Amino acid sequence: MSAAAMEMSCPPTAELIAAVQRADSSQGLLLATQALAACADPAAASTLVEVLGFNNPGAAVAAVDGLIHLGPGAVDALLQLDPENYGARAWAVRALAGIGDVRGLELLVDALGTDVAASVRRAAAKGLGALRLGDLEPARQAAIQARCLDALLAATADGEWVVRYAVVVGLEGLAKASPLEPAAQGALKAGLQRLQVVSAENPTVVQLRAQLALDHLSPP
Amino acid sequence: MLSSGDGRPASTPEGTPISEEEALRRLRQTSDPSQQYYGAWWLGRMRSQHPEAIPLLQGALRLRRPRDTGAGVEENAVARNAARALGKLAPAARCAIPDLLDTLEDPDDGLREAAARALGELQAPEAVAALCRRLSSGPEVAGGQRSDSPRLVEPCEALLEALGDIGVATPEVLAVVEPFTTHSRPIIRSAAARTLLQLSGDARWSGVLVELLDHPQLQVRRAALMDLGAAGWRPALEPIGRTLAENSLKLMALRGLVEQGKGDPGIPELLACMDSLL
Repeated sequence: MSAAAMEMSCPPTAELIAAVQRADSSQGLLLATQALAACADPAAASTLVEVLGFNNPGAAVAAVDGLIHLGPGAVDALLQLDPENYGARAWAVRALAGIGDVRGLELLVDALGTDVAASVRRAAAKGLGALRLGDLEPARQAAIQARCLDALLAATADGEWVVRYAVVVGLEGLAKASPLEPAAQGALKAGLQRLQVVSAENPTVVQLRAQLALDHLSPP
Repeated sequence: MLSSGDGRPASTPEGTPISEEEALRRLRQTSDPSQQYYGAWWLGRMRSQHPEAIPLLQGALRLRRPRDTGAGVEENAVARNAARALGKLAPAARCAIPDLLDTLEDPDDGLREAAARALGELQAPEAVAALCRRLSSGPEVAGGQRSDSPRLVEPCEALLEALGDIGVATPEVLAVVEPFTTHSRPIIRSAAARTLLQLSGDARWSGVLVELLDHPQLQVRRAALMDLGAAGWRPALEPIGRTLAENSLKLMALRGLVEQGKGDPGIPELLACMDSLL
């Protein structure tokens, strides 16, 4: 048992995993997943990832919360997911977006550009602005920033307002996280300005959020 | 307030793009109703501004027939999509208000529902008297369950919401709507409270909606979220945030609070909550 689990006086992780695998009702799976997520033991990661594919939204939400809480320790398990399992992949995108580990980059870029569900593209856009780059060497950092920026700028033309809203949040996060090269900074601002434009196709809420991001990035 | 669907034919995936010309051609021909159905949907979905779009949709609306469920694609399915499309083409489609008012008297309640929603979207004050007349027999009669189906005698949810969207807040309108806040179905109570909140701004109606955010049925919680969004009731920010429903629905509701509402909590707090739900 991990130290964290002992502090919270959890039952042993193996028992919690067995309870998830034994669950034979929707409610039972939800409760067992919540208990496993709460134990905060990296040994729970692969079982929590399995739950993402069980087609039980309540349990999947609990599993995503647990995986985000585990942080980088959950990334390997998430990346081993079967790419053909569409439902599980959508939840994994949310978990990776919440964790912010650069190993999730390709999956997030792919999800933002190609996923059919607006809720998944939305999570990916936010996640691309929240990758933790601090420990990387400058050249690698700049390369990842460029990938994130390209993906987010392409998605400023997404047909769903909520995705464009998330793109604004992603662009703002990217600009705030670490300094960008001047050309990249200029392209990022131009992207935000496109989303700030008043038009029938672009709802007021997106315009207001883009305005707020521009205000944050260039204080008067 | 969630309508049953957007009228897009299941057999034609959104990924199959057609041109505006093609959509107009499909609606213009009369030999294949399923093509007309898709053409009408396309013109509304794409907010067509082609000068022929509205006259063709008006024509499709006039071609409605009594319901004949044994005849494959029923003629009224085309008329329903035409009504929905006209609503999406506001304000240019205001010239079709007389056609929609005629449709509001059709024996097919599904068609009356589509016409009511379109009149709401067109914010047609001309429709208030007819909408009120349909509802005036109250929750027991207009809101009673039909003997032959689980549907209500009148499409109450659509009629109530149209009155809220049009926004004529006379004592007569309020008196027609208020009895529906005690209807036996929570979705109808939600629609009535939303309309009264939109028309009067009276905070007591927000209480009905906030209480429904805790309803055991997800479908009711979703309706209350959408109705608080439509009314732009900003004080509901905190209860919306903790409602057990998909973040997608909460984001739509919060967009309504930003765009339709005023006062406190202000825009920065609303946007911060939206950011946290992405």
